[in-house]
Amino acid sequence: MSRKVDIAFTLNGSPSAVSVPPDGSALDMIRDDLGLTGTKYACGEGECGACTIVVDGRPVCACLMFAAQCESRNIETIEGVALSETGQAVTRAFAQKGAVQCGFCTPGLVVQASQLIARQPHAGRAAIKRGIEGIICRCTGYTKIIDDIADITGGND
Amino acid sequence: MAVIEKASLIGQPVRKFDAPEKARGATRYIHEIDLPNQLYGKILRAGRVHARIRCIDCRKARALPGVHAVLTADDVADNRPLGHSKDNPPLKGGKVRSERDEIAAVAAETPEIAAAAAALIEVDYEDLPPLTDPQSALAPGAPLIHEERADNITRTWHYENGDVAAGRAASDVIVSDSFRLHYVTHCCMGVSGIIASFEPDGRLLLYSNTQVPFLHKREFAQLLGLDPGMIRIIQPPIGGGFGSKLDIYPFEPICIFLARATGRPVKLLFSREEEFIASPTRQPVIVTLTSGATADGHLTFRECTTLHDNGAYTSWGASTPFVMMQTVSSLYRVPHCRYDTTVVYTNNPYAGSFRGYGNLQGTFAVESQMDRLAEELGIEPLEFRLLNAQEPGETSPQGLHFKSCGFRDCLQTAARASDYRSKHAANVGRRNDGAAIKRGIGMASMLHVGGGAKIYPSDGCGTILKIDDFAHVTIMTGASEIGQGSETVIAQLVCEELGVPLSAVTVINNDTDITPWDVGVHASRTTFIAGNSAHRAAGKAKAKILRAAAGLTNMQVDELDLRGGFIIRASDGEALMALDKLIRKLHFQDKAELVMTSDYYEPPSVGQDKDFKGDVSAAYAWATQAVEVEVDTGTGIVRLLDVYSAHDVGRVINRLGIEGQIEGGIVMGQGYALTEELIIEDGICRNPGFRDYKLVTAPEIPDMHLYFIESMDGEGPKGAKGVGESPAICTAAAVANAIHNATGVRITGLPFTPERVYRALHPESAS
Amino acid sequence: MTALPKAPLYARPDDLTEALRLLSGGEATIVAGATDLMVQMQAGKKPLAGTLLDIGAVDEIRGVEKTAEGIVIGATTSMTDILEDRMLGDVVPALVSAADQFASDQIRNAATIGGNIVNASPAGDTLVPLLVYRAEVTLARLKGDDIIYRTLPLGEFLQGPGTTAIARGELLTHIRLPLPPVGLGGRFYKFGTRPALDIATVSIGLGGRLEEGCFTDIRIAFGAVGPKPFRATATEAALSGRPADGATIEAAVAIARGEIHPIDDVRASAWYRAEMITNMLKRMLLDVAQG
Repeated sequence: MSRKVDIAFTLNGSPSAVSVPPDGSALDMIRDDLGLTGTKYACGEGECGACTIVVDGRPVCACLMFAAQCESRNIETIEGVALSETGQAVTRAFAQKGAVQCGFCTPGLVVQASQLIARQPHAGRAAIKRGIEGIICRCTGYTKIIDDIADITGGND
Repeated sequence: MAVIEKASLIGQPVRKFDAPEKARGATRYIHEIDLPNQLYGKILRAGRVHARIRCIDCRKARALPGVHAVLTADDVADNRPLGHSKDNPPLKGGKVRSERDEIAAVAAETPEIAAAAAALIEVDYEDLPPLTDPQSALAPGAPLIHEERADNITRTWHYENGDVAAGRAASDVIVSDSFRLHYVTHCCMGVSGIIASFEPDGRLLLYSNTQVPFLHKREFAQLLGLDPGMIRIIQPPIGGGFGSKLDIYPFEPICIFLARATGRPVKLLFSREEEFIASPTRQPVIVTLTSGATADGHLTFRECTTLHDNGAYTSWGASTPFVMMQTVSSLYRVPHCRYDTTVVYTNNPYAGSFRGYGNLQGTFAVESQMDRLAEELGIEPLEFRLLNAQEPGETSPQGLHFKSCGFRDCLQTAARASDYRSKHAANVGRRNDGAAIKRGIGMASMLHVGGGAKIYPSDGCGTILKIDDFAHVTIMTGASEIGQGSETVIAQLVCEELGVPLSAVTVINNDTDITPWDVGVHASRTTFIAGNSAHRAAGKAKAKILRAAAGLTNMQVDELDLRGGFIIRASDGEALMALDKLIRKLHFQDKAELVMTSDYYEPPSVGQDKDFKGDVSAAYAWATQAVEVEVDTGTGIVRLLDVYSAHDVGRVINRLGIEGQIEGGIVMGQGYALTEELIIEDGICRNPGFRDYKLVTAPEIPDMHLYFIESMDGEGPKGAKGVGESPAICTAAAVANAIHNATGVRITGLPFTPERVYRALHPESAS
Repeated sequence: MTALPKAPLYARPDDLTEALRLLSGGEATIVAGATDLMVQMQAGKKPLAGTLLDIGAVDEIRGVEKTAEGIVIGATTSMTDILEDRMLGDVVPALVSAADQFASDQIRNAATIGGNIVNASPAGDTLVPLLVYRAEVTLARLKGDDIIYRTLPLGEFLQGPGTTAIARGELLTHIRLPLPPVGLGGRFYKFGTRPALDIATVSIGLGGRLEEGCFTDIRIAFGAVGPKPFRATATEAALSGRPADGATIEAAVAIARGEIHPIDDVRASAWYRAEMITNMLKRMLLDVAQG
């Protein structure tokens, strides 16, 4: 029987407790143990951003973080971010204005965009592009994603 | 009652139906689907490119707790070869022919146990000399990849029209080049997967992201010796398609074998590394093209030979000549043409279908030479193109009949918007000014089918439509949704016809038990064919409704219309009766009737004859891109600054959707031109991951300027034609021409990575 | 006889002594941002050994400080913290430039400068500007109940691809930079095939200024053109005190070409790397020469 680590942390505002293998990733814990499947596996090595979550207020790739490192941290996934005020504005904009095609990269983008907007509420297009540079989208060509974030930040003006 | 104003949905920016739940992360892709009692499948791949399999020892794997089945080719009676050349057995016994070869498969309680078991399988290989250069594979005496064959030639293609010798004789200039088009891969963000389950009633249930569910159903039935009625395919939302899911690949029947062997559902997902190694690629091609023209600027002939590296097994890449020959024969007006392809087996990865399907490769060659010819002739390149651009009503020598044709409009729009002529000339003047950074502008056009492509006995799509007592419309369409927004376009067309809001529509498109037949999502056919089918089914429903309404209102059918959820008086828009009320009246009257209609739309195209001639699509579409680049001659870095993309689309149905397709296609074309390269060395993939396979990221995209030419195709729904593939097709050619404009150097091999560009600019130091 | 307590599977001490005790007590795998470790573990290159020792909560080894002696950066300072630090941006701009070109926002938020150093990639982004700024690394270990420190130049600490002089039981705690000479500035150039998420094909760090029209205080370091990033001392010597003109630059660039040892790999050929070093160094020097 492989040994596990008991961890406790805040997940989307509520207390959570899980037993995880020491070398398991936060991504596997979120998807398999916690059943939150909005955070996606697309590469598993931090190159695509589909697994972006927020840890203590900073966006990181869940695939590159050990599950055990979630201990005592404040973790937010897309399921929580989508309900926040900024998250709602972002999901509404993305959904209404063409930023979603296959949708696989979209949750990571919503998380990253919400963080970007929180830190740079008036970000221009160049800053927006830099802000989402860690997320790969194969469908949209990024244009509408950038447009929609810029609509929120006033970056198109 | 109130007057209802006319408001059309056509051309509007309509949001994609499933976008809100996708944005919230609520959508369940195949990765999120779990069946009770399921096992997890894992494939052991060869990891070497050419070898005899002496022995596969699965004893340790089978003994691992939690393992329920370990299968090799010897364990499966119906391990029948797949693909249209029937040369790809799902499990490989006897011989390894490529890195991705499937040697064994495991089904276990968890993915970790399945992986551990696969690692315990011991295989005794006798390595054979790898054959990874297509030229070498043609040489007499070369080792045979498939030993039952006489040689390594998979097949050849030949096409001709006119008299190429006469064309040569009539030419005042002739140019000839060899172009090298490389391996790229789809990189769908959702990795491949399948779930197979034999249900209690004996039927086979498959969760599959196939783009051709009905063709797959038939092929699986043949493969397994099942009645096709015993197979049901459900298509979960897909994390990208781009043509990657148009063929049956070994992992799919392998998963079915595992489900059958274990008596339990089996879920098999790829890792990203496996996706790179085992997915079909775009077809790599060596194109040798010779083109000629007269002094007054008219094309005379094109002679094209290509060598297609088929890899170890045959998939749709081997049929890209079907599209390439159309480009060579019909992109611009060319009287004489000859086209030959040799497709040859090697130990390399095999290619499938990928957005554009050979047209990127063909257009790269053709449009590079359009610029070369113009330069040789001393004719301005836009002028040269306009001289040879077809007009509505023309038929190409291959038999493609251009009913609607916005080719000239595309050329002129892209040129005007980008200020092509003056920039092109100015850049030539600056080539030798000593500055390290050079600007270039380049142009390329493309021709592609826009109304299907009759590659199968039927190119049609079926729709079943029903309206319930509350005027909610359910559309059951055979056309799959692969993220491109087909369900939204279909809904728009139906709503436009029935005068109901989009919120009153449900589209069902993902269950072969429910939806009528469609040949599949490919050839940019879905808006045209599925759209027409849905539009006609809605038209039949409208006719039935208006007949009933005429009876109830004592008016004539042609005095009535449907708008805003009401039956209205057509002349002034006055609402006469709510639609739902009429439906209920119909339903609850003495002779009860429901509104249920259906339609099967077969486009008026013909299959090609044995010489590949024929009007294979119901419509054709053009696009022209003018692109501006900046070349840093000190590093070879090419930045794509602007893309002016003019598209002959017939009619815009969903503005958001069509823009999204163009923007995404441009970036895919940008990747093909500048950054993406699947590096295959000695048959082994050296960069199976996003770290070293460079997809374009947000800071790199150009400014995109889109222009839609609405040539109003007579057959397309509301005049629309297909557009899904067009934006990716001519970008690389335009970039090649732009680099040449900037530097005077023509590079004939892709991608234009900094090192490749730098070498071309500094041949002295490279040697 | 009481059973020995099993080593914990995961520990996140908030105290340096406790961290060193866990490190010296048995097998341990140190993790901070995990951005390199996780990738290497998944690839089977670095199996998890013993305790997963998370040093991210040890406050005394995180943060940036400027004193009269110089700058001290805690090893677990994140790349984002470095990027956003105003003082660092003023005093050691090449380091901040390297942080700016490092992967992506999500990676920068987790990755640490100490992790980048200990990973010792031949293409490690921060290593090149750190060499330019004459960085030293401080290592700590436990002897009895006391923490023993040693400090050595970064160039000595880095030994080869993935190899450093770190000893068993040691932890990299701080990076120390002497205050650079006034006006040194500092540029970092990273060549990749695209702006984000890129491992450097070559990288160049350059610090220097002009005094009476001559190159002064020239420091140059190269990355991705040798088994480890290194200071190009011969190239520096060819520039120091020489007039900042085309002839000096040409001569220096030729010497640089002889100092580098690039290889062919999936990212680039050795020839191209050499061309890029010479072309880009020339551009950077011309830039300095023009003020």
